Amino acid sequence: MLQVRDGAGETLGVLFDRYQAPLFNFYSKMTGDRALSEDLVQEVFLRILKYRQSYRPGTPFRAWIYQVARNARIDHFRKFPPQTALESEMLPPVIPTDSAQEQQEVELLQRALGQLPEEKREILLLCRFQELKYEEIAALLGCELNTVRTRIHRALQDLRKAFHQLAQGTMLKKDEAAGSIPPQGGRHEV
Amino acid sequence: MKCEHIAELLPDYLQGRLSREQDQNVEAHLEQCADCSEEVVIWRELSLLPVDQPGPESRARFEAMLQAYQEGRSNQPADDSHPRKLASAWNWNVLHWLRSPVGAMAWSAALLAIGVFAGLRLAAPKPPSPDLAAMQSELTSMKQLVVLSMLQQQSASARLEGVTWSTREQQLDPQVLSALLHTLRHDASVDVRLAALDALSRHGRQPQVHKGIMDSLQQDQSPLVQVALIDLMLEWRDHDAAHRLQELEQTPNLNPTVRQRVEWARSKLN
Repeated sequence: MLQVRDGAGETLGVLFDRYQAPLFNFYSKMTGDRALSEDLVQEVFLRILKYRQSYRPGTPFRAWIYQVARNARIDHFRKFPPQTALESEMLPPVIPTDSAQEQQEVELLQRALGQLPEEKREILLLCRFQELKYEEIAALLGCELNTVRTRIHRALQDLRKAFHQLAQGTMLKKDEAAGSIPPQGGRHEV
Repeated sequence: MKCEHIAELLPDYLQGRLSREQDQNVEAHLEQCADCSEEVVIWRELSLLPVDQPGPESRARFEAMLQAYQEGRSNQPADDSHPRKLASAWNWNVLHWLRSPVGAMAWSAALLAIGVFAGLRLAAPKPPSPDLAAMQSELTSMKQLVVLSMLQQQSASARLEGVTWSTREQQLDPQVLSALLHTLRHDASVDVRLAALDALSRHGRQPQVHKGIMDSLQQDQSPLVQVALIDLMLEWRDHDAAHRLQELEQTPNLNPTVRQRVEWARSKLN
């Protein structure tokens, strides 16, 4: 990053290769919108170019790039408030796993994550997917380390509740579907 | 141990940051408490969520953005007497030079010169000399050339950047205005069209821009852009705007959000 800061534009390519996928995954899970996520990733690297002088040597680059990424998303939604809530239809398909039940659970979990309020979804993504340390998240969100711990725990509690509700809803639907099947041959009886 | 105590330890437990003794305490609680142990399961299952990957064209877009940015910078005129050095702003040597004693002296001299120049101008406000006016007009037209070239880039980010550049100028050439209008009507990216509308709204008093924006209300298919256009027309509050909004409202198959917005805007206008 120091090379980028001091002017080597080519070095940015190395950073792009390293960070574009995690950043895309972060945006995609935050917004559920692939096209927007790709635009935001490009915006992050444009901002790195523009504001590279504000990077202070010695500070962790990972925390800095997530700061830029977070601001890019906030600015985008300030300018263009989201028209729709994160819908499960917009989320990428879940790759089939070993068992059907596990696959269904992962799908429900993905939908439950999409239902969380933005700040709760964000903190879970930052620590679970972006693997930021709690100290880095505290610096990023501008809060105390203990606040980060509390927020993670609350987010996880809410995720568990949302997951449960969805799981119950799915079971109810299944029951209804099973109940609505007419007895065999019943409709064709004359 | 109760759930409240576990709540304090759980985040650190999940990251394996607890002492052995604390770890054992948490695990003893997890064996008895279904809710807390389910949270741990959910945390672990989060790692099973698919990792979303960007499309293959992402790298090409980045290259185009980098190139546009570098071209934009090297074309960027600057009010400095060392254009060669500024053109290679990437060059680390410039910073070195500025930090050296000779550089520092030159820098101080330049600052002093700027100070004296500014002082003279402030003390005796005179019409700008023809040379200075010519230079300023040249700078403006160069910036506008950059905008024009950026609006034609492949990458949406570069075009967006072009639109942003255009907002730095108070006055825009008719050519730049018509390029922005073209962007508003035909750009593939909704973001770019929205930014173009934002940039154009500053020049809404010019008849060419006014008419262009009005015309795009019927043409644009994106609800986001349509809503932004409706809001702008509400701001203008002129007769033509009211008429155009009425026309839009009568369009069949209008997006419900847009219909709601246009009804709201018309109620405000009446």
